[in-house]
Amino acid sequence: MAFVNYESREIQLKIVYYGPALCGKTTNLQTIHRMVSDDSKGSLTSLATAQDRTLFFDFMPLVADAVEGFQTRFQMYTVPGQVMYNMTRRLVLRGVDGLVFVADSQWDKMPENVESFKNLEENLRLQSDDIEALPCVFQYNKRDLSNVAPRHYLDFLLNNRRVRRPAVEGVATEGRGVFETLNMIAKLVLLKFIREYSGKQVEDARLVLA
Amino acid sequence: MAYSMGSKDVRRMRRILLELLDRSEADACVVCDQAGHVLAEEGLESQDPHLMSALGAGVFAATRELAGLLGENEFSSVVHQGTRRSILICAVDEQSLLLVIFGTSANLGLVKLYASPAAAAMRSVLDRVRARSEEETAPPGHTFVLRQGAPLFGAGK
Ligand SMILES: Nc1nc2c(ncn2[C@@H]2O[C@H](COP(=O)(O)OP(=O)(O)OP(=O)(O)O)[C@@H](O)[C@H]2O)c(=O)[nH]1
Ligand SMILES: [Mg+2]
Repeated sequence: MAFVNYESREIQLKIVYYGPALCGKTTNLQTIHRMVSDDSKGSLTSLATAQDRTLFFDFMPLVADAVEGFQTRFQMYTVPGQVMYNMTRRLVLRGVDGLVFVADSQWDKMPENVESFKNLEENLRLQSDDIEALPCVFQYNKRDLSNVAPRHYLDFLLNNRRVRRPAVEGVATEGRGVFETLNMIAKLVLLKFIREYSGKQVEDARLVLA
Repeated sequence: MAYSMGSKDVRRMRRILLELLDRSEADACVVCDQAGHVLAEEGLESQDPHLMSALGAGVFAATRELAGLLGENEFSSVVHQGTRRSILICAVDEQSLLLVIFGTSANLGLVKLYASPAAAAMRSVLDRVRARSEEETAPPGHTFVLRQGAPLFGAGK
């Protein structure tokens, strides 16, 4: 749930990277953190196991000059993908404004992708959120590997809904698709915030960011 | 959905926090919501309030689940005691938390004693903020304007 402080002129928005274990959620934040300029980012904090698997979440604030007269602060989180950490995923999802679903493009990961997406829908339902109403971007990651499913298959499997969501092909380790994904979700979250919070329909054309 | 605070709300919250710091001799405090957003802060030096909120909200939520496992409705507060600095995290309401950071010169009993009325006062401010956000969107006459141009984020920017 977005939060606006008129006194400090700041808008806070929460973006969560979701997806199955080892699909590359943490790698996305690490890549952003490595590449983005110092004045846009805070530190990247990872609550992880000794094997670098996310245990609780990764967290990194990003600030941008996206709205006139306000500082926009995106609170970026990843969830732990391992099935057993579902309670933690629910905690991290609270108050979410936008989602990036990172899918692992490898053929043998398809059941896990589907399972994780179902789990996301279920967890959102439990907190009375609806995936249809939330900004969401798909990232089909690990496109550098040889055993990957074609994009249209991933679309068919995960993104086969009334309203199709943007989908980006990525190689998170190399940075491919990482900023495209980030800018896309940031833009969708901002558009939704402005549309709902300004209490009126605003022409998309006027608001195009990129 | 979004909710917002104006300068009046901010002033009220600041007054509550300053009074808490003054009476309890604690060093700093932060109020955050369950999403980890920072609603107010007072007295922090080098610590990042946003990171503190993200972690505090996580700790408290996890503790709540633990309480459930033990058949407790809720632990109303959590304390982490260090040798030089400690932190008390207590619920303001269902959706928000108060974090109080204190050193050896303050006393846990006193911090707890004063944190409780501070949390109650905070609750009434936040109730008002939320009730208002239900009916109203941005303040009348206010529109948010997105900046045009280059993508927000990129390598080296
Ligand atoms: N080949 C390849 N490997 C990748 C890519 N993205 C991430 N990886 C690797 O996949 C492994 C897991 O990446 P993480 O980012 O830790 O995965 P995660 O989704 O955070 O996993 P959990 O925290 O367990 O949910 C690491 O060894 C990464 O280097 C990619 O695009 N291509
Ligand atoms: Mg991870």
